[in-house]
Amino acid sequence: MSRFVVIAEARDGDYRPSTYELLAQARRLAGSLGGEVAALTLGDDAGLRDRLSGLAHRVISIGGAGLAPYSADGWVAALGSALDALPARGAAPQVILFGESPRTREVLPRVAARLGAYAATNAVDLFEDGGRLLLRRPVYGGKAYAVHEIGAGRVLAAFRPHAFGADAPAGLPTAFEEVAAPATESRVTVLSSEAGAARTVDLTEANVVVAGGRGMKGPDNFHLLQELADALEGAVGYSRAVVDAGQAEHAQQVGKSGKTVSPTLYVAAGISGAIHHIMGMDTAKVVVAINTDPSAPIFGYADYGIVGDALQVLPALTEEIRRG
Amino acid sequence: MVVLAKEVPDLEAMVKVTADGGALEVEKRRGLNFFDEIAVEAALKLEQSAGASVLAVSAGAGTGIEALRRALAMGSDAALLVDDPALEHADSLTVARALAAAARREGFDLVLAGKQATDDEAGLVGPMVAELLGVPCVTNIIGLQVEGDIARVTRETEAGRETLSVALPAVLTVEKGLAEPRVPAVMGVMKAMKAQIPRVTLAELGAEAQPPLTLAGYATAPARPPAKMLEGEPATVAVELARLLKEEAKVL
Ligand SMILES: Cc1cc2nc3c(=O)[nH]c(=O)nc-3n(C[C@H](O)[C@H](O)[C@H](O)COP(=O)(O)OP(=O)(O)OC[C@H]3O[C@@H](n4cnc5c(N)ncnc54)[C@H](O)[C@@H]3O)c2cc1C
Repeated sequence: MSRFVVIAEARDGDYRPSTYELLAQARRLAGSLGGEVAALTLGDDAGLRDRLSGLAHRVISIGGAGLAPYSADGWVAALGSALDALPARGAAPQVILFGESPRTREVLPRVAARLGAYAATNAVDLFEDGGRLLLRRPVYGGKAYAVHEIGAGRVLAAFRPHAFGADAPAGLPTAFEEVAAPATESRVTVLSSEAGAARTVDLTEANVVVAGGRGMKGPDNFHLLQELADALEGAVGYSRAVVDAGQAEHAQQVGKSGKTVSPTLYVAAGISGAIHHIMGMDTAKVVVAINTDPSAPIFGYADYGIVGDALQVLPALTEEIRRG
Repeated sequence: MVVLAKEVPDLEAMVKVTADGGALEVEKRRGLNFFDEIAVEAALKLEQSAGASVLAVSAGAGTGIEALRRALAMGSDAALLVDDPALEHADSLTVARALAAAARREGFDLVLAGKQATDDEAGLVGPMVAELLGVPCVTNIIGLQVEGDIARVTRETEAGRETLSVALPAVLTVEKGLAEPRVPAVMGVMKAMKAQIPRVTLAELGAEAQPPLTLAGYATAPARPPAKMLEGEPATVAVELARLLKEEAKVL
């Protein structure tokens, strides 16, 4: 029997960090609750499957036309049939764990609808309490958390980046298996795709996010954010005020109507701390706020506050970090 | 065209976890989900060019009317509420079944929905409706053109942006940036206030509820301790902050 199935999704030549985090948590839970850990990897991603050796009891590659290049129709059909076939392969899953990603967001709900399974997104924890398996997810933009018990019935759940540490003991004997997906034709055709501003680190997956608001006083100063982000190997984000002013792309907006980030470190420079912004970053582990106004609401959500001019504090901090 | 319209608490509404952690108390200020409002606007724009009609559909247990009135006030031609006690705290799949059944009964070439609701932020219902209707789905679109029975859509990707074509009928979920929702005119608001909005039940639609995932309880977000405030010259506070991040917070 197998309780935990992790969907291993790759990007840019490796599995996403979330894949390793989810597998680690699945191993921890299988250790305490019993059961097996399986990884499912589809299409081109399966070419990397050796990297999962030791991290799961089984690694199941799903191949077939319609999976590479990626199409939602192809992946939904493949995952639907593979998950349905798992019990017969002696691997009936209780929880199917996905990392939050654009693919997950279009595939997970449709697979759940197809299977009649439960679905949860945005989850931040999957844990054991007195033999019960529980899932935690924020609601109302993080104003509260809902805790669900996973009982009978399969659950497809998507977890935010950094929900778990990736450092659980590995070294499992791993069986590699292969299955073929049903042939599926995509009803959606990609006409063109263009690369946007090169982002070396993805905002939602970044370990460190340096975000700027209106207090940065315009694009001429945004290099100060980038330089600190580079020194910390992080990504740059912006408040909506900056995006609405046409000074940054919407893809880099943090907040209710932008991206939700949960980095280890979040630096808010010249951001007032409106609730809509907070909703996008409140699950960050450590928050630093730099603002000239000592009564700015952002200080109420920060661990460290600096009352001062971001245009002066940022370069000083960058210099200090570079010095090591 | 069918637009899925969810009624949600206002973004500013107070949310409190009850003392026993068993429920949430949410201030009763409700309206149409931010992203669904964009979907209504996009549908109204298409209506002008393609001459189709716009039907707003909501599902709730005694709720949804506020959302539908807003959609009507903005200019939707009709509204339909799936009203059923089984929709109270319902599972996303149950809601999707209700909406899909309503869309099927009323007929559609295109279903538009917000990419997610601002209360549960789950983003599940739109794609689920597509799967239940057996039609293709594109999520998070920021551009939309319809030519005959083909929709050309644009969306942001992790690498940049892509343009896709999808055969109609289809379900499209919309991202901020697709359209700027209009503010309803007074006439529209008056008309919407007076509109008789038809209601149907799950049974009438032949849709089945599934019991929701067991709720173990609610918890308050862990509060951060008060911020440690640093003062002084930029160079001095930078040194102190770097030290604290390294030694106290252990994040460097
Ligand atoms: C439906 C809805 C959705 C929204 N979604 C989002 C969202 O996703 N993301 C988001 O960010 N906002 C969102 N907002 C907007 C949000 O309410 C705020 O308006 C916005 O976050 C303000 O951006 P800001 O902090 O950059 O600007 P301001 O509020 O103008 O704050 C600027 C801050 O900079 C400080 N400052 C000025 N000069 C300096 C200096 N030299 N050094 C340091 N500090 C300085 C000021 O003291 C001030 O606190 C949303 C609003 C609505 C209604």
